[in-house]
Amino acid sequence: MADSGSLTSSSDEPILSLENLTIGYGEPLVEDVNLVVKPGDIVSIVGPSGIGKTTLIRTIANLIQPISGTIRCSVPRRGGLGYIPQKLGLVRHASVYHNVDLGARAGTPFLSEPKSWLKRRNERVSDAIDKMGIFDKIREPVRRLSGGQQRRVATARTLAQRPKLILADEFLSELDEENISLVINSVKKYIDENDAAIILIEHDIKRAKEISNRMLVIDDGRLNPFVQDKVVQEVKI
Amino acid sequence: MNRLILAIFILLGLCYFVLFDLVDGNWGNLSGGWSNLSTFWNESLWPPDWTMLQAQTYPECKSSVGFFCSKAYLGMLETLKMAFVATVLGFTGSILLSPFAARNLYPMRVFLPIRMLLAATRSLPSIIWAIVLVAIFGLGPLAGVLAMTFYTIGYLGKLQYEEMEGIRNDPLEAARAMGLSRLEITVNVVIPESSNGLLSQLLFMFEYNVRHGTVLGLVGAGGIGYYLQFYMGFLLYDKVMAFLVVIFVVVVVIDLVSMSIRSFVNEEGDVKRPSWSTILLPPSSAVSYHHGQEED
Repeated sequence: MADSGSLTSSSDEPILSLENLTIGYGEPLVEDVNLVVKPGDIVSIVGPSGIGKTTLIRTIANLIQPISGTIRCSVPRRGGLGYIPQKLGLVRHASVYHNVDLGARAGTPFLSEPKSWLKRRNERVSDAIDKMGIFDKIREPVRRLSGGQQRRVATARTLAQRPKLILADEFLSELDEENISLVINSVKKYIDENDAAIILIEHDIKRAKEISNRMLVIDDGRLNPFVQDKVVQEVKI
Repeated sequence: MNRLILAIFILLGLCYFVLFDLVDGNWGNLSGGWSNLSTFWNESLWPPDWTMLQAQTYPECKSSVGFFCSKAYLGMLETLKMAFVATVLGFTGSILLSPFAARNLYPMRVFLPIRMLLAATRSLPSIIWAIVLVAIFGLGPLAGVLAMTFYTIGYLGKLQYEEMEGIRNDPLEAARAMGLSRLEITVNVVIPESSNGLLSQLLFMFEYNVRHGTVLGLVGAGGIGYYLQFYMGFLLYDKVMAFLVVIFVVVVVIDLVSMSIRSFVNEEGDVKRPSWSTILLPPSSAVSYHHGQEED
């Protein structure tokens, strides 16, 4: 990737560190979360439904304030963090190009776009759409696409943004095996080339082990009957 | 379901009591109402005086089709022009203001004053605006256009910010997490996401302004309303009826066209109306136009 955008660091400095984090909506949902994410990390968050995985991701994305604890995130406020929500967050009445361009827009400075930036932004968008294999749909409104195609649009938006940290909430669901490989390989390549990292929520533990190099398990006994209380622990892969 | 029916009955009962209070229990005014209406209809309204749709004797008609020189056509055309300009100007004003009035986009210190401004322009009906503006600009369409523009800003602005507040939260969250500015989110996420509703409201507002333009003529603000006011003054209700028929037909045509335009931005339209060439066809015909009868 010739265009580095805001990503220039290749150090081992943590991109994100969570210290004694307690999250929830008023009432604590998950307590004592500790996590350090470094460049190259692919961290899966695994746990049963309703345990707080999405809440954790949304807290890291600064959409919810933590109840207590510290979040240290070294990425720039603008464009440094890519977020693929569970419902994808696509503008349904707009085209594929428009949606992916939102990511590229976030990856470029606000109100200071000389022609070269616009050209580069356009290249980023086309490149990301091409990688996701949906170039023939570039002018289609997103609402006309299938669920799997929409997931690829959301992934393309994040790739066009070139963030340092990607947060993805079940972004592989609704994809067939071929497209799962396409998406995962593209994201892994991006992470390697840009010293970025990804935290993803995955329901399928087997797949989480396959695609990630670290796994954070949040459990209350539903995954592991030996667990008595709600625990957050990193499991070796 | 039972609860819904019960709620409807309770509301209807409440309406009855409120109405009873309003008429002071005197329902006597209703007696003989139908025979009065029947007499008025048969003696004054019907048949309409269709000469209103024929060319005027003065000024001389230069068109080969007399209808294009008729009072009904010229009056309606002026009303349509007034409504068009007022709707475009009003939409431009409201779309610039309404995002700032949306609670999911801006903090209270921003949305509250903007909402108050929109409420202020809305609180005066356009006919009151017209009276004020006729006093300033004199009789004619300019006062009518400005009156409708002010009202459109307030009315459409409210519909727009409510539409924007109703959009799904996940595109907003994704854009915020990415670090896009509020202005970028408004222009690139909120307006496209609510485009279906915004378009629908714009078309509704045009239709509303056409209907309302007829009323503004009553206070001298031009358009077909001028003729309505003129002939009502002489109690020539058969002529008034001819104008009302024209207004009705125009409103129905606008409604049909707006329905077709809206079908391009909704999901039902994606299936039933795959191209612009079918804009004036009903959805069922649009399907057979493209796919043949077997897909009906």
